[in-house]
Amino acid sequence: MNIWFRQHRFALGAALSHVRKAPGSFLFNVLVVAVALALPFAGVTLLDNVRPLSEELSVDPEISLFLKPDTSRDQAQALAPQLQQILHGSRAKVNFVPREQALANLKEKSGLTDVIETLGDNPLPDSYVMKLEGFTTRTDAGRVDGIAEQMRALPGVDAVQVDSAWVKRLAALLGVLRLVLLLLALTLGVVVIAVVFNTIRLQVLTQREEIAVSKLLGATDNFIHRPFYYTGALLGLCAGAVALGAVSLALRPLNTAIAEFARLYASEFQLSPLAPLGMAALLAISAGLGLVGAMLSVQRHLARLK
Amino acid sequence: MIEFQSVSKKYTDSANTLALADVSLNIAKGELVYLAGPSGAGKSTLMKMVAAIERPSSGRVIVNGQDVGRIRKAGIPFLRRNLGLIFQNQRLLNDRHILANVMLPLIVTGAHKAQAEQRARAALDKVGLEGRALALPLELSGGEQQRVAIARAIVNRPQIILADEPTANLDRAAADKVIDALHAFHSVGVTCVISTHDEQILDSAARVIRLEHGHLTGGGA
Repeated sequence: MNIWFRQHRFALGAALSHVRKAPGSFLFNVLVVAVALALPFAGVTLLDNVRPLSEELSVDPEISLFLKPDTSRDQAQALAPQLQQILHGSRAKVNFVPREQALANLKEKSGLTDVIETLGDNPLPDSYVMKLEGFTTRTDAGRVDGIAEQMRALPGVDAVQVDSAWVKRLAALLGVLRLVLLLLALTLGVVVIAVVFNTIRLQVLTQREEIAVSKLLGATDNFIHRPFYYTGALLGLCAGAVALGAVSLALRPLNTAIAEFARLYASEFQLSPLAPLGMAALLAISAGLGLVGAMLSVQRHLARLK
Repeated sequence: MIEFQSVSKKYTDSANTLALADVSLNIAKGELVYLAGPSGAGKSTLMKMVAAIERPSSGRVIVNGQDVGRIRKAGIPFLRRNLGLIFQNQRLLNDRHILANVMLPLIVTGAHKAQAEQRARAALDKVGLEGRALALPLELSGGEQQRVAIARAIVNRPQIILADEPTANLDRAAADKVIDALHAFHSVGVTCVISTHDEQILDSAARVIRLEHGHLTGGGA
């Protein structure tokens, strides 16, 4: 075990020594790889910030039923059993929202209290909000429309609104974004591997004599390969750190612009850097890509030296 | 210790060079043997086969009881760790000082750095170069570089030293120092195989294996 650790320590030392011998070249390669990594890292950061928003918005369909303004409270509440009957067999939460509560909610959420105060009478009707669960397929969407149609026919009902479509669109859009990001990450991952592959190729060629002599002196393939693996992983790791730093720095000016935009919607939405665990995962992926590039290069070019 | 059984080696180059033709010989443990012959006689090929750098086209090469032709690729480094290889052009790494060069055979085996340094200094001391431990190879004369190569070959305490033309390109005094150093290691029981053109060295040799155009012409028994 001691020998194993010693050989790894030696390999890491050898990799660092090669970096010290040609810091400019290493730095340049780090920057090239960092540029390739920065785009997917920015995408991941953006999705990570948007994800909580999309999770707050349910993709389950919600039916809002508004009663005519002249419907009495007793008549309104008497509608509940009929709604339950229509929803029979479906998992649904039925909430009666009295007009007073609706106004209070509007004041709280819109931030337009002063404007609402000027209205005098409460213009909002009593309503029911029904959240249907487990309606995820296109057939289910048809069923929701059928339920809404039945509800429209009930006495005292002014309007029925099915308000899940835009949420579904948002979810679909996020799905597409995730897919685009994945494809982008895969493409740029290949770029990273190619850059590291070439860097290690040049290093193998530079160290041909050292490799040949080491082999004659009894070095195993693992002993010879390891420093190159460490160099590749180190290159990936440093590039990942630079890319993460660049994305974090870019968040500041972005947040200034976003803050102005969000203020228009009474929101305080801001983009935040990834959590430490997320950053660690991205750094591990970067180092992993560097390692893969180094492994491919070493396998190919050392085989040629034999 | 080293046995060649009807060994032939044909290179698959355009000329289909026959480097060794049906060579059989024995070298006992602790023996000092010289390989002699003109350029292209097959001396280097013979040594390369002992170190598993080349494999025989036919026949068997036995080193320390192991059939070199049958050793798995992963086993070759472990065979070489029991050998001390000295090359005509030294093959020192010019970007590091000679102490690091001599430590290398120990480092590749996973030896502790401090221990490797101690043994490397002792090996340099044996060849009279302890005082130049931190010099770069190109700061040394050809003879000194060859002695560094000897120190590197013996630092692992090998059972066999293979020296391929170690005195080529050296003046008489430097060549004598190199040969004296090799004799010193032979005197403590190390098997030495030295190839040379130098008839003056061969004059005092107890056993000389002679090769010509890949054929054994003397000293194989």
